[in-house]
Amino acid sequence: MKKVLIIAWREYAVNVRRPGFIIMTLLVPLLGLISLFIATFFGGQASRTLVQIFPAGPRLTAVVDHSGRFMPILSEFQERYIPYQDETVARTALEHERVRRVLVIPSTYPQSEDVVVVTAASSFSGLEIEDSGALRRFFIAHLTQDMDDHILRERLADPFDARIENISGASQSPGGMLAGTLNFGFSYLLSILLIVTIFTSSGYLLRSVSEEKTSRMIEIILSSVTPQQLLAGKVLGMGTLGLTQVFVWTASAFSLGSGLVILLGVTLSLFARPEVFVLIVVFYILGFTVYAVLLGSLGALGADFRESQQISGVVTLIATIPMMLMWVFFSNPNAPLVRVLSWFPLTAPTMMMIRLAMTDVQWFDVAVSSTVLLVTIPLTVWLGAKVFRLGLLMYGKRPGILEIVQLLRQA
Amino acid sequence: MRTSPSPVLSVRNLGKRYGDFVAVDDLTFEIFAGEIFGLLGPNGAGKTSTIRILMDIFKADAGQVELLGRPPGDSRARVGYLPEERGLYRDQKVLEVLVYLARLKGTDPNIARRRVEQWLERVELQEWATKRVKELSRGMQQKVQFVASLIHDPDLLILDEPFQGLDPVNVELLKRLIRELVADGKTIVLSAHQMNLVEELCDRILLINRGRALLYGQLQQIKRDYAANVVRVRAENLPTDLPGVVRNERNGDISLLTLDGIGAQAFLAELVARHVVVESFEIASVPLNDIFVAVTQEPR
Repeated sequence: MKKVLIIAWREYAVNVRRPGFIIMTLLVPLLGLISLFIATFFGGQASRTLVQIFPAGPRLTAVVDHSGRFMPILSEFQERYIPYQDETVARTALEHERVRRVLVIPSTYPQSEDVVVVTAASSFSGLEIEDSGALRRFFIAHLTQDMDDHILRERLADPFDARIENISGASQSPGGMLAGTLNFGFSYLLSILLIVTIFTSSGYLLRSVSEEKTSRMIEIILSSVTPQQLLAGKVLGMGTLGLTQVFVWTASAFSLGSGLVILLGVTLSLFARPEVFVLIVVFYILGFTVYAVLLGSLGALGADFRESQQISGVVTLIATIPMMLMWVFFSNPNAPLVRVLSWFPLTAPTMMMIRLAMTDVQWFDVAVSSTVLLVTIPLTVWLGAKVFRLGLLMYGKRPGILEIVQLLRQA
Repeated sequence: MRTSPSPVLSVRNLGKRYGDFVAVDDLTFEIFAGEIFGLLGPNGAGKTSTIRILMDIFKADAGQVELLGRPPGDSRARVGYLPEERGLYRDQKVLEVLVYLARLKGTDPNIARRRVEQWLERVELQEWATKRVKELSRGMQQKVQFVASLIHDPDLLILDEPFQGLDPVNVELLKRLIRELVADGKTIVLSAHQMNLVEELCDRILLINRGRALLYGQLQQIKRDYAANVVRVRAENLPTDLPGVVRNERNGDISLLTLDGIGAQAFLAELVARHVVVESFEIASVPLNDIFVAVTQEPR
């Protein structure tokens, strides 16, 4: 174990100083910082420009009520709604931009639903659409003001706040649709973020092994440690490197104003579904181990880094299949194809991390998937050790698939 | 003679195949404490495969190996290895690389640091300790690699082509260091193609070709065995009608005589009987290089 830790520490210390790692790690917070800067500086400037182009004018509505149902205007609306006796006067006020619009309610209301909303020709129509909810609330409040049942009045104004449940009976996170969406969104983002760190760290591992082979260092190392120890040390070191990246990103999210909101969202969703968080972390570790061991071993096969990358490209391609099947997830996160891919060791980690973030995954799938991965890890370590030995035979030439299989039996 | 009866390494009936290719074929040999043992053979003879099995990098298909009384792999900390295919982390500092390799062999970091400083001084590289490996010349890197193989103070040192790429001055330096290591009680396995160096350094050798042992034993004895019927005589007036002489190569007053049907002792007695003034008489030994070429080119 001591040798494993020595290797892990070296791998960490060397790779944490790599320009590629530093750029990648700082890029995400930097993008956040740039977004924040744009949002605060340019955003403010842009809104000022918009105001200049589309002057909003006073946010007042002139109400010309011929039906008598809306007078006097209820106190909570008096700030924004001003009664006008005469439509011509109201229209003049609109022309002089003293009000933003004129609401004309004919005497036939409420028998007829028709009302007239007059706006200035230059006004931004989007603002009217955006404000239609407010107008609706104005009508409902006045029409129901005589109802004794205040609860019913509230429900008429705000009829429902839905909590979505699926057929299995398990509910999504409490807090209504908005919280559910937030939880889904942030868990999903977290999963994607973790998957990205898996691939970047595994990529570093591939490079590390490939460099050790290219520099002819590997044989010296293997005279001191077993291939298993070397692989384990590298996986541990690179895993810690990946976690460092996650830590830096999370910490930078704390320090960024906008990031704080995101972080609160993540924290909320994780608190709401702690078992999901635990499972995501478990699959993160399992997934990282499987990919890292595989890519690390395959790194020993190529004559140089480029060749190793080509050889290991197949594994990476398979592992990213879940990312390419987004449309299937969104329509049905428990579709048969999705479930089958959750049981396949090379797609299980990414598939499960995304599924766990999106929906309630059956325990059967969690059990099968984690068992498959737990069996796969020692298998890949064993195979990886063979590949390491085999890789030593492969100086200066690129093996074919058949050759690899044949030599694996002899390594 | 430095050999002792306790074998540091014992190999019995070792075999290794890669597909149809037989790399090591029924190899048996022993290496004793305190000796320099030459593992020789042409390219592709099976030397590196044998060494990799000893280092537990490859697994043998057949046979038994006992290294320092234990199976290979269990004695890693007591064995040093300088592989033929070797390199160093180019972007790291010399001191860092050497301490790291020593730690992998189980050496305490502080002790490792002290030893690195001592050894870099011995190989005249002390001022390069804090330089990156890529700043060193090839010869310097070679010396650092040599230091890397023994920084953990091993009992057995396996050196595969240690003189490759070294200039004559550094070859002398390395020879001196190897002799000093043996004087300190270390055992050394030397695989090299420079037969003159092997002759200078090795006590015993194993010559293999196509995975099989061709010659094995005391180097001097092997050389004598190969030249059993050749004597080198320094005499002024050597008669031309001496018995059993089938070939006479004369160089000044030294004659290299190939004998047939008469032993060296009887031939010397004949010279004495004939009152030939013999200034020197020795059983000639053939250069190892000639033996190597002759043996490895023999049809199977």
